[in-house]
This record gives sequence, C-alpha cells and structure tokens, in this order.
Amino acid sequence: MSTYTKQEVKQLVDGTLAWDTVHQMISMPKDADRYKLYMEVIQEKLSYKHKVIMALGPHLNLAIRDGDEEIHAFCDCGKDFGHYKGNWKLNANIYVRDTAEKMDQVYPRLMAPDTTWQVYREYSCPDCGTMLDIEAPTPWYMCMHDVQPDLKTFFEWVGIPAPKKI
Amino acid sequence: MNDLNNPVEVLGIDAGGTMTDTFFVRADGSFVVGKAQSDADEAKAVLTSSVDALAHWGRTIEDTYPEMVTCVFSGTAMLNRVVGRKGLRTGLITSKGFEDFHRMGRAIQCYLGYAFEDRLHLNSHKYDESLVHIHDTRGVTERIDCKGAVVIPVRVEEATQAAKELVDQGVKAIAISLLSSYLNPAHEHAVRDAVEKVIKDSGSDIPVFASVDYYPARKESHRTNTTILEAYAAEPSRKILGKLSDTMRAKGGKFDVRVMATHGGTISWKAKELARSLVSGPIGGVIGAKYLGEQLGYENIACSDIGGTSFDMALITGGNYSIHKDSEMARLVLSLPMVAMDSIGAGAGSFVRIDPYSNSLKLGPDSAGYRVGTCWPEGGLDTVSVTDCHIILGYLNPDNFLGGILKLDVERGKKCVQDQIATPMGLSLEDAAAGVIELLDLSLRQHLRAMISGKGYSPRDFVCFSYGGGGPVHAYGYTKGLGFKETIVPAWAAGFSAFGCASADFEYRYDMSVNVGITEESTDQDLEDSVDQLQSAWDTLKVKVLEEFEINGFSEKDITFTPGYSMQYLGQLNDLEIDSPLPKVKGKKDWPALVAAFDAEYARVYADAARSPELGFGITGAILRGSVETSKPAVPDEKEQGETPAAGSKTGTRKFYDRRKWVEADLYHMESLMPGNRVEGPAVIESDATTFVVPTGFATFLDKHRLFHLIETEDLTVAFNYVDA
Repeated sequence: MSTYTKQEVKQLVDGTLAWDTVHQMISMPKDADRYKLYMEVIQEKLSYKHKVIMALGPHLNLAIRDGDEEIHAFCDCGKDFGHYKGNWKLNANIYVRDTAEKMDQVYPRLMAPDTTWQVYREYSCPDCGTMLDIEAPTPWYMCMHDVQPDLKTFFEWVGIPAPKKI
Repeated sequence: MNDLNNPVEVLGIDAGGTMTDTFFVRADGSFVVGKAQSDADEAKAVLTSSVDALAHWGRTIEDTYPEMVTCVFSGTAMLNRVVGRKGLRTGLITSKGFEDFHRMGRAIQCYLGYAFEDRLHLNSHKYDESLVHIHDTRGVTERIDCKGAVVIPVRVEEATQAAKELVDQGVKAIAISLLSSYLNPAHEHAVRDAVEKVIKDSGSDIPVFASVDYYPARKESHRTNTTILEAYAAEPSRKILGKLSDTMRAKGGKFDVRVMATHGGTISWKAKELARSLVSGPIGGVIGAKYLGEQLGYENIACSDIGGTSFDMALITGGNYSIHKDSEMARLVLSLPMVAMDSIGAGAGSFVRIDPYSNSLKLGPDSAGYRVGTCWPEGGLDTVSVTDCHIILGYLNPDNFLGGILKLDVERGKKCVQDQIATPMGLSLEDAAAGVIELLDLSLRQHLRAMISGKGYSPRDFVCFSYGGGGPVHAYGYTKGLGFKETIVPAWAAGFSAFGCASADFEYRYDMSVNVGITEESTDQDLEDSVDQLQSAWDTLKVKVLEEFEINGFSEKDITFTPGYSMQYLGQLNDLEIDSPLPKVKGKKDWPALVAAFDAEYARVYADAARSPELGFGITGAILRGSVETSKPAVPDEKEQGETPAAGSKTGTRKFYDRRKWVEADLYHMESLMPGNRVEGPAVIESDATTFVVPTGFATFLDKHRLFHLIETEDLTVAFNYVDA
C-alpha cells in the first residue's frame, strides 16, 4: 500500500501535484490515512469552526456544525446551506441561462445548446458570490438533488467512528 | 593484447537511461562488455564505456578504433526527448479545419502505454502535452479526397502567410501534413515549396518536413506524428550522433556509425528518416536471436527479455520475425514499421504490494528502476521490489550486485519484506519472498504461453532464448513445464541487445500506402492498372532508398533490393506483409503470382481453410527494403573441454531457498566455465552483469558457442506438485 505525505495531499487538493503522482494515487488502492489527511488539508484552508467531514465541491463541504453537532453543508465563507439530507441548492442564488443572448456570454453562437431544450442553472452563495455548482437540465426539470451521501456506510468503509448525528 | 590475426571488428553500443554498454567483438567471436554511467554527452559515455571494455583485453581506444569495421548505436536519448517533451520547437501546417486533430491523438493517445487496469478507468486517462502547440499550428485551405482527386485547390498564399507567422513566432522546424497527401502529393509539395521560399527569403535555415516526402502512409494522425518527430526529436539526435562520429574519427575510427531502427535493420546516422530509430533497445535482442538462429540452425525461436521494468517477448517463425505497422511508441500513434513484440509491465525490479481488498500479492505495474529496492538504502525506496526477494533467497549476490557498484543492506530488505508482505499474509519471510518469485514466474509463463498459442503455435516447435539482465535469473521459472524444445541462455545475456544491434543488416526500409482492390468483376484494365500501381510505388521507394545509401557512398550495384507488399482478402480487416515473388512486375500477367504468394503465406500463418479469396484481393501497401553487406560479429566456436568444470570456476557456495527449504547452491563464475562443462542444480552461475539460476531439478551445459542449455532433469509435473500440496 502506498503512503503519501500531507504535503502531497495538499498539492492534490490544490491541483498542483505532478500528474505522475496523481496517476499513481488513482491507480493504487487508497492509503489508510488519506481521508484523515484530506480533511485536515481542507479544514486548514477554512476560517469557520465546524468540523469538515466530506467535500461536496471545490468550495462546498459537509461539516459538523459547531454547537449542535448537526451535519450541514457550508460554503467556504461560512454560509450555512442547511442539513445534509436536504438540497443545499434551495438556499443558493440561482441564475438561469435560458435565452440565446445569455448563452452567447459563455459559448460562441451555434455552439451552445438550444435553450428551448436545455438551460444552464448557476448556483452561487448569497453571501460571498462564489459559484458552487452548475447544472444543465431541460427547462422544465426540477432543481436537481445531486448526491445524498450514505454517511453511516461511508464511515464504516473508512474505518473510523461516525459523527453522532448522521 | 594486440593481435593482428584477430582484430577487434565490431562495436555495439547500447546507451540506456542509466548505463551505457559497449560490446566489442573480435573476428573469432570473442567479446568484452564495458559499462559506464550514461551522460548527457553521449560521446563521452561511449568513450568511458569503451575504455572499461577494452581494459579486459589490455587495449586502448586509440589502438582499437582504427582496426574496427562496424559500429552500431542504439540509445534512449531520442525517446527520452519525446517522453520529456524536450524536443525542437516545431510548427505544423495542416489542412484548414483540421488544426486540432494532432492534439486529439486519435482519441486513444490518452491511454496508450497504460497498464490494463488504467486503460479501463476514464479518470486515469490523460492526454500528454501535444508535440506541437496549437499556437504553432496553421491551417491551409485545400482538400484532396480519399481517391486522390483535388476537391479544393490549395491556396498557396495561405501557406506563405502561415510560414511567415510561424517563423516570426520562433519555431525551429516546420512539419507539413495535409489530408490524403499520400494519394496525391501535389498540394503538400506546393505548400512545402512556398514554406521553403519564405524561409530562404527570411535568411534562416529552418528545416522543413513534408509528410509525403517521409512517411507517405494512410492515417493522418500516425503520419503527422511521425513527420513531426522527424523535426522534433530526430534533428537534435543528428547533431549528437554527428558529434559521436567525429569523436570516434578523431580517435582513429574509419567506420561509419549506424543506428538501430524499429524495422530491425540499421541505418546511417545521416539518414533522412532518423525518427525510425526512436525505439531500438528491445529490438536488438530479437535481431540477435534471429542472427544466432541463422548461424546455428534454429528456425523457430521464442525470444524473451526480462529487464528491470518489463518482460518483452517476440516470436521468430521460419527464420523471420513479423513486422507491425502503425506501431505505438512513447504514447503516440506512429506510422513506423516495427518488429512485432509483446510486452508486459512486470520485470525483475517490479514493486510488490499487498492488495488491501483481496489480501493477495500484486506485482507492479510500476517498478523500482535504477533505485533497485529497499535493500539499497541510498535508493530511497520504502516499497519492496522483486529484487529484494532475489537477495533474500540467495538468487543474487548482495556483495557483487551490478559487479559490486552498489552496496546493499540485506537486513533492511528483510525487514521490509517481513513487515510489508510476510507478516500481513501470515507467512515466513522466506515463503513470502518465494511466493513473490513464483508469482512473477507464473505470470511470465502465462504470457509466454498465451503469446505462442494465441498465434496458433505450440511451444514444442520453439527454442526459447532467454536474455537481458533478469532473463537468466528466471529462465527456469517461466519456461518450466511449457515444453520448449530447448531453453538457451547466451553467456553474454546482459549484452545481448548490443550484440543484436551489431549483427543487424545495414538496411533501409520504406513503405508507401497503395489502394488496390480486385474482385471477380474487375476488368483486365483494372488488373493492368493495379499491377502497374504497385510497380510505380516500388520505383518511388527505390529512389528514396538509393538517396539514403548514396549519403554513405553506396551505389545501386552494391544494394540488394527486396520488394514486398501488404495484401488482404477484401472485407477482412488485417493485411499480411510478404516479400514479392517477382523482383519487378508489369501488367496483368504478373497478378496471379502476387496472389499465389499471398495465399500461401496466409495458409502458413493462419490455416488453409481460413483463406477467403471469394471476395477478392486488396493491396494496401508497397514496401521496399534495400541492404548492403556489412561485417557482423562471429558466433563463438570453441573447443569442448569435457563435462567437469575446472576447479577455478567454482567460487564457493551460498545458501539458496529452493522448494521451500534452504540448500547450499554451488556458485560458478560464468566466464570461467568452458564449453562442454555441465552444472547440476542447485547452482548459481554469476557474472558481473547477469546471474543464471539453476535450481534443483535442472542442469545446464555450455556448448561450444558459449550458449547455456537449460535442461529439466526430472519429471516436473511430479516435482512441482509439492507447491500445491
């Protein structure tokens, strides 16, 4: 089994790790303390006190809320997006690209989808403005609930005690 | 010692990433091997290595080089330049609208060269940086269709503009590759001339490479990559080899340095198409095996070469290896004909780990390389390698590893194997290490068997040659029970690739795609045209072969030409390459002979019943090989001395773990054994660069050509049952 230093995991998170090492990390079975190091690296980048337990995106994490120990989704700025069993997107600002003009801003004309068939929904943080996710559904489709992690099984796999309120 | 009756004639050079080997051969076949650490200045490494080799004979470079007649170089510098993307900045001019196809890599370059598991997983796929940056790429409006007809005439003024921009941007070479140019070179030539004019007018001397002048083959990604390599990677090599050649001349050498090429021949370092020498190391061994087979009467040979990182296999059938067109090298699709080989990423230096999910041993796919394993602390490795297990079990001598260059820490190796393999698996240290060796042997044996039976042959029809640094260590393991006619280990196994390079012909091979399809409905005129198209392609290729040989002062009368072609049954996907039964063809009267030769070859390679002539025949390519006579190393031919090795050849005994128990293995010095000598296992025969392991149940004798024959002395189906029991 391979082992990696915290420095390497930090570079992995930052996207600055050399591809050869990234490739090896992908190909080999995970090292035992990867989860722990990964979470430490993310936690050190954040100013809030909640304890991070899972990354949902580059600027969005699940964390144990300081105080009541409920698991919520948090933006890097500390904005609370609600309990992890709900859909965090419902607490985000939404910008919908649903006209050809709006599509022109992101793709050259004729290289973007026809907005009567597909629109882009951009979700951003109401506090800091960071874009957290984009989805590309048909115009009538509901707001997608991307992932509902099975935290109980997850912590069994990782082999460490699960948070109390999962 | 100088010996005028027995001059040193041949020098083979194998300049690898870590070591530069030289292999000097005398007229009677006796040889010495020299080693030196590789250097960015390859000429320097070759000289150092030569000094090391010649010291065995008490000779110097200055008095040896002048009597030599042949020098063949093979090296990894060009390959490293490509892999490390450190080539010459090259501009690319292509058909307008197709500027991106080069970096799209035919949608397969993202996983070429990967282990099987990594090919399956999309998230490990990655495109390497393209050889030519998109900003150094320009499109020119033009189009030639798939029949060679002009659909849009070329706009030469766009080529002129493109060339000006590329020159201004600072490219150091320009490659041109337009769609379907192999069928009609007119557009590419027009663009080439325009680009050359711009360069001339600007007063610079940037080289220009039009694909049709170099590799006129179908499949534009392959053709374009290969043409770019000619600029990107081969130009710098030309300079390095030129320097090597000058250095050797300064020391009195009167020979011309030749380079091993992928098609199995050697070409001059001055060759126009030097990219053909991109990969040469593993090919050398196959050429050496073929040459040895010709000398000694072996027609069918299974070649096996274990290095530190890979196991390379090739088959020689009926005295010939097969050629794979459109080969893949350095994670690029290329149109270079290459000696067909199968490689797996398991070698003597592979890492050993335990898969935490299945709790079973896993070898590779990565390997320790020059860092050896955990038993060499300076290498800085913490992961166990196969070499560690060799050391623990007494296969290799820790005090004489690579001739004693490296000092090994056996205890550290033992501790690592114990902690990482033995304890987690609940095995003793020795059994864990032996399990690793058995697993490697088994995996190599399966691949070797699969390669032979997959092509419809049986090991019974083959002699197995085992060479490379690790081949002789494992020869017993990966051949046992397969039923080869014989297993042979040359006494110069470690220098076998260099020997192979030195025994290769001075031969150019040129290929050209042709489009011929003949069915029952074809007219006499179709037949006339088809045959003439083939001859016309040969004529074109002949001019190129002649041009190459003229650089080295050979004229047409010195050259033996061998025309060939690739043919297929229409509707089938694969073609077969054959030598033409006729030296020249003209008109439809010659068509039946071409077809008959193909039918016969097809029946030989596959089966008579598999032939399917009813759909007609297609010719897909014309091939022309031209060769001239060269001096080759003689195979040693010594007097047999009787079965018992001389007293001085036995150097002692060593504890050796064999069949789950420690035994005392006899140690022999490889160079001191004499033809006729027989050694019974358990024994280990050592030389500086390789180790030949003969366990219990095996014996070996050295023949008069200095080839060790490995013999199974007991019924192994019984002997190896203990493993399962």
